[in-house]
Amino acid sequence: MSSIAAPGTQGHGLALRAGILAYVGALILIPLSALLFRGLEGGLAGLREAVTESTAWQAVLLTLWTAAIMAVVNALFGTLTAWALVRYRFPGRGMISALVDLPFAVPTLVTGVMLVTLLGPQSVLGGWLAAQRMQVAFAPPSIVLALLFVTLPFVVRAVEPVLMEQDPAEEEAARTLGAGTWTVFLRVLLPPMMPAILSGTIRSFARALGEFGSIVVVSGNIPYRTLTAPIYIFGEIESGQPARAAAVSVVLLAAALALNLGARGIERITGARHGQA
Amino acid sequence: MLRQFRLRAVVTIAALAATLATGCGPPSPEATASGKVRTLTLGAYTTPREAYGKAIIPAFQRAWKEKTGEEVRFQESYLGSGAQARAIAGGFEADVAALSLEADIEKLAGAGLIKRDWKAGPHRGVVTRSIVVIAVREGNPKGIRDWDDLRRPGLQVLTPNVRTSGGAMWNVCAMYGAALRGGTTAAKGDTSAAEALLRDVLRNASVMDKGARESIISFEKGIGDAAITYENEVLVGRQSGRRYDYVVPHSTILIENPVAVVDVYADRHGNRDLADAFVAFLTTPEAQRAFADYGLRPVDATAKREVAARLPKVSDLFTIGDLGGWPRVTATLFAPQGVYERVMSSLKAKP
Repeated sequence: MSSIAAPGTQGHGLALRAGILAYVGALILIPLSALLFRGLEGGLAGLREAVTESTAWQAVLLTLWTAAIMAVVNALFGTLTAWALVRYRFPGRGMISALVDLPFAVPTLVTGVMLVTLLGPQSVLGGWLAAQRMQVAFAPPSIVLALLFVTLPFVVRAVEPVLMEQDPAEEEAARTLGAGTWTVFLRVLLPPMMPAILSGTIRSFARALGEFGSIVVVSGNIPYRTLTAPIYIFGEIESGQPARAAAVSVVLLAAALALNLGARGIERITGARHGQA
Repeated sequence: MLRQFRLRAVVTIAALAATLATGCGPPSPEATASGKVRTLTLGAYTTPREAYGKAIIPAFQRAWKEKTGEEVRFQESYLGSGAQARAIAGGFEADVAALSLEADIEKLAGAGLIKRDWKAGPHRGVVTRSIVVIAVREGNPKGIRDWDDLRRPGLQVLTPNVRTSGGAMWNVCAMYGAALRGGTTAAKGDTSAAEALLRDVLRNASVMDKGARESIISFEKGIGDAAITYENEVLVGRQSGRRYDYVVPHSTILIENPVAVVDVYADRHGNRDLADAFVAFLTTPEAQRAFADYGLRPVDATAKREVAARLPKVSDLFTIGDLGGWPRVTATLFAPQGVYERVMSSLKAKP
């Protein structure tokens, strides 16, 4: 990175680098430090107090556990989806591949409206679920569903390039030696995919921590039951409590940053620097 | 063909952008053939949007033109009451603020933007009223008659989030106050019984939307058996063809919506006379009738008489003053250690 400047362009390279640094700094670091400053106004004790206040804490816990369930499902089905898309040729494959990217293109609010239309009490499915006494809409399951939708591409797109690079010969060799599909998947395909699965899952988890648009629509937003941390933050801003909003924001931010750094670490160690969605 | 289409699209977009740019520009007086054009900025909460936009503003423009020959242009902004108050306090230069509750106007006074006693006018600065009611499904299949019926286990009740909605605060005050006054099965003055009523009803809350309007829209989508809401939300919904009923509890709270001239901004724009005239116009029978057409209860005596037959009577109507006024209610009900937080945290065990 440092020694690629051609002779005579040293000055330009420096200006370019300084420019990029200034841009990223102004765009990300300055707002970040403004938030940190606000969140830490009351010191660490104040931050702790604001976050462990029971409504806030329950909102953070709900956010974490719904995101965790989403991450597990995502790791499993994301990997399987990537595997199917890379290894098999079937009708509709291109279509599915295009659909996988859709969640990034659809506004999250629209995702929420879609899910309520599908699961709300006036829909056929919603009516059936209600008859079975299964609470999905306006309950935690709908939060998990919304998160699954908005984070679908992360694992699929992280795993795909790894699978494409893998030499099919290894798989064929295993099969020739008598391994079944399942054994091939577990012993041959999975190990090299692991870092990509992990980093994709972590990134989807980090993304889920901040999800607002879809959840505000599909969840009941009831404190202690269905109120997630981002919506709690919104409520605190709306009711004139910016310091409490900033405190919980700082916690979400720290978690997301740590997770992203973790994902980068995994990618760096394993050299798997592909396909960040 | 395609090229022509593209060209047209570009022209349309450019025209749109130009309209937007001029529409958002700073208010500047300009001369026309008929006289001066002036711009008045109104920062309001969302409920009276149609009443202002479709009836009151056009009527005021006509009246002002007749009187002075000046043309008045309006810039209107509609947000949730709390958000609008914050926007104006934060530098959105509205000449006139029309908000949902007194506490929000007080925020502007507290920020030094309102210099005069805004309650000095007729009706103490209040231009419209409404009451808190219970919207129910058509024909009232669950037989809901009063606050106590909302406690029934298994019932689904909608009410907005008190953190984001002034309307939600009115709802909580209505129930709590009704119980304290002996308007429910709770004994008069028994605060723990009033709290129990609140707890039972909020246990049934299935969705807390961020505003009163969103909450009634959820109800229209088929969610919930009952929605605690303003009477005018129900009336407006029914005007637009929605089919649901509402019941007026025996005892409920009178909502009063204030309007004030934002002195600092009005003076900065040289709009003091215009803003004062607009606020005064809001309590004329003509404007009051327009508010009534959109479901709000008027404050003017003439308009009041006219709508009296149309609107149901309340047996025991009380005001926020009966609960000790907003500052006291905010402290006892909505503070971090207040009744509302206590009730919500006692409900957390329920899945």
